Amino acid sequence: MSNLKKIVLAEDNSTLALLLKFRLEKEGYQLLIAEDGKKAIELIEEHKPDIILSDIMMPFISGLEVISHVRNKLKLQMPIIVFSAAGQEEMVLKAFNLGANDFMGKPFSPNELVIRVRRLLT
Amino acid sequence: MDSSTVRIILFIIHSLFFIYAFSVIVSYIVLAIISAVESNEYMKKNSFVNYNEILSSTVSPSISIIAPAYNESLNIIENVRSLLSSHYVNYDVIIVNDGSKDNSLDLLINAYDLVKVNYLINEQIPTKPLRAGVFKSNNPAFEKLIVVDKENGGKADALNFGLNISSSQYCACIDVDCLLLEDSLQKMIKPFLEVTDVKVIASGGVIRIANACTIKEGKLLDVNLPNKWIEIAQILEYLRSFLLGRMAWSRLNGLLVISGAFGMFEKKSAIEVGGYDTNTVGEDMEIIVRMRRHMEEKKVKYKVAYIPDPLCWTEAPDNYKILISQRNRWTRGTIETLRKHRKIGFNPKYNLLGMLSFPYWFFYERLAPIIEVIGMIYFLILVALKSVRWDFAFAFFLLAYLFSVVFTIVAIFSEEFTFHQYKKKGTGFKLILVTLLEPFILHPVILYAAIKGNYDYYFNKKKKWGEMVRKGMSKS
Amino acid sequence: MTNIQNILTYFNQLPILLQIVWIGVLGLFVSILFFLFYLYYLRNYLRAEEVISKNLFTEYEASLINYLYSGDGISKITSEQQEIIDKMKTCIQDKFKRTIFISVLSKLKNDISGEMATAINTLYLKTGLIKYSLNNLESKKWDKIALGIKELTQFEVVNVYNEISKYKNHDKQEVRNQVQLYYVSLFHFNGLEFLDNLKSPISEWNQIQLLEILQKFDDQEITDISPWLKSENDSVVLFALKLAKIYNQFQVIEILLNLLNHKNKQIRVCVIEILGYFQVKEVKQILKINFGNRSEEEKVAFFKIFEDIVDEEDEAFIIENTSNPNFKIRFLAFKLLKKLNIEAINLLKVNASGINNEQIFKFLEII
Repeated sequence: MSNLKKIVLAEDNSTLALLLKFRLEKEGYQLLIAEDGKKAIELIEEHKPDIILSDIMMPFISGLEVISHVRNKLKLQMPIIVFSAAGQEEMVLKAFNLGANDFMGKPFSPNELVIRVRRLLT
Repeated sequence: MDSSTVRIILFIIHSLFFIYAFSVIVSYIVLAIISAVESNEYMKKNSFVNYNEILSSTVSPSISIIAPAYNESLNIIENVRSLLSSHYVNYDVIIVNDGSKDNSLDLLINAYDLVKVNYLINEQIPTKPLRAGVFKSNNPAFEKLIVVDKENGGKADALNFGLNISSSQYCACIDVDCLLLEDSLQKMIKPFLEVTDVKVIASGGVIRIANACTIKEGKLLDVNLPNKWIEIAQILEYLRSFLLGRMAWSRLNGLLVISGAFGMFEKKSAIEVGGYDTNTVGEDMEIIVRMRRHMEEKKVKYKVAYIPDPLCWTEAPDNYKILISQRNRWTRGTIETLRKHRKIGFNPKYNLLGMLSFPYWFFYERLAPIIEVIGMIYFLILVALKSVRWDFAFAFFLLAYLFSVVFTIVAIFSEEFTFHQYKKKGTGFKLILVTLLEPFILHPVILYAAIKGNYDYYFNKKKKWGEMVRKGMSKS
Repeated sequence: MTNIQNILTYFNQLPILLQIVWIGVLGLFVSILFFLFYLYYLRNYLRAEEVISKNLFTEYEASLINYLYSGDGISKITSEQQEIIDKMKTCIQDKFKRTIFISVLSKLKNDISGEMATAINTLYLKTGLIKYSLNNLESKKWDKIALGIKELTQFEVVNVYNEISKYKNHDKQEVRNQVQLYYVSLFHFNGLEFLDNLKSPISEWNQIQLLEILQKFDDQEITDISPWLKSENDSVVLFALKLAKIYNQFQVIEILLNLLNHKNKQIRVCVIEILGYFQVKEVKQILKINFGNRSEEEKVAFFKIFEDIVDEEDEAFIIENTSNPNFKIRFLAFKLLKKLNIEAINLLKVNASGINNEQIFKFLEII
């Protein structure tokens, strides 16, 4: 089990999180779900995942802060994909400046996400 | 004087008391009915609104949250974090440190990586000058934050500074210790944007009592009913005032007050009238009355909107001493505002504002405690003269008491049907218990505070602001 | 027995006012008792309902995900999927359950696209939820109609265009808005046709919603906006201006220049901003002619866009405005001068005695 690649998924839409969890587990990844930014940071610190998927707009600690924490405080370099709603280009640019590797605008196709995850993990 | 003139005078006095009491009851009933209609409409209108659709950064209007802080070092870091976590995109947070004597500024600088910036301030409203300067964060995650350190000038002055420095179209003026829910800004901005035939100059929000609620790092996790009677009684009072009173007045477009703890303004209108008045303790009421007056005089069709959703949570006084000083201040604020704008009262030029809102506030808010005390004194005189029919008096007291209980219960129903915040088992019982007791435990205190406010206003003009001692939001 | 008689005798001898008071007391007392029981019942009911709806939500969430993963990737419905459809068909006959199921579907629908989104639409059709939405359209209550349209929009039911169009001139703004959202969500830029003959105003809130939806589409090929810029309806013009900016409609610059003299101030200000954004130099000649007669907002807007289109010829005009009573204009004027040439500024700095510009100089670091 332990050599499965670990993914931390921070997403406050529980249905979407569940859907993505199923989808990615089917691909052979281990999923850790956080419903807000704070929980995400805890999971990242504890598990040092291979990739982080994070929504930008989340309760309490935003996705931007999660990226900032990972890159600047924890000094971790694993790939990060952010999700954002349409019309938030500014946010996406900020996310890239903070060190995100890829972004997907909501609504997005789960299959496409799988492809991007796979690409970033090889 | 012969006995017949005495009898006539007594008859007139009795009639006046009777008319007053009767009109109070009728107005309460009318307000309750109007608020029921309005609540129903509001819930219907917003049942299918997806607030997330409006978040976009490119086209949605800009908002500044302006929060004055004076010696708030206890919770400032947490409070700012909560303000920064709003889900709206196009907004910034302006913390105005109003000459605090504690280390608030240093705490903020450390927590949010602040650096001093060169900032051009368009002083449209005269204020006290800057002290340490204007600060912004190095960290892009906090780029929405602006901290201003200025010399002490009071809350109104600090808010005015915020209005000057803000570059947004709308300003949400709040108390820094208020906890705003994440979707507050979307909901508060909606009335400004959804109208097509009038101009909305301000929108007011509801204040909910956060005592005993579980709050963790700036986020409301669980709503609890506090234990002390004085706190529960205030919850009932707030429910009555916000869900019945203000809801109805907003329907009539006659709101005279927006809570200083959470209100949003169209910045241009607020600056046009000169911002907050620094010479009153009731600056939150005064600015609304002044803005309305200005609009009436300019003959612009306008509206002061109101959002009943529980968006803003704050600590209420949990002991009599602070409660009394708070209400004392409110009373003086009301008197000052009504006096300053007495020209409006009964002036048909000001339409509904002059003919209904203002007289209502004058008679039923401003004069109510005084009339009540006069009534009590008169009753005592009658007792002393042994001319009280005790059975009659008992019947009237009972009627008044039961009416007040029914009115509070209606407010509770209104809460259950709309927002239903106190969900836990057993809280219903506690609410009802305090409903029955409130006329005896909270009302006399508030009456005393109001009378003291009147006294201080007329005879003790140097009275300082009642300072509210805060207990810290994260105690749970 | 005697007690009651005593009370009655006492009551009968009371003055009429007191009799009314006692009747009032009795009435209030009874209503309090009633309210208390009702409140007890209501609170229990609400609590129970919340638990049930939470459980149902989780259950339906699981069903939905099950449904989505038992698809075969082709458009056929698998037997497993059919089972879920049949189960939900019976569930949604209950209004309460139906509401929850719809909320599960829309929660996911908002965030995903592609095959899975299509599969959710199919589920909406196959379970017969669409029938209920269509029933809502026939309702007399405006909020039901609006809700019906909203659901049909969300699950992309294209073939009810005519049924929905019946409501495009409904009295309630909320209903009209839902119709407009339907057009734009399903027919993208073609859906904007409704703007052609729109008489009612579109609120700012609704305009933002429409733009948000348009920005979600991959196909950003916008139709010609020029008729809307010439609309009689000011809110349509304002909306078209937002489109012009977002979709870089350089071909309408001529029309925009004409709009600089539109009767609506808000439109004029918007036009100035957009022309500045497009860096159209002609705007300068037009605005300079009657600059003094324009509103403060227009003047400020003009100076804000000046920076990108300024050249040497404008110097006199700018210098003139360094003594403008408006702080913002003064500041922007000095800023422009600094950009153009420092010499003139130093002269002005000495000469401008009437107005205090110290703060501006300090900020611009003009020494």
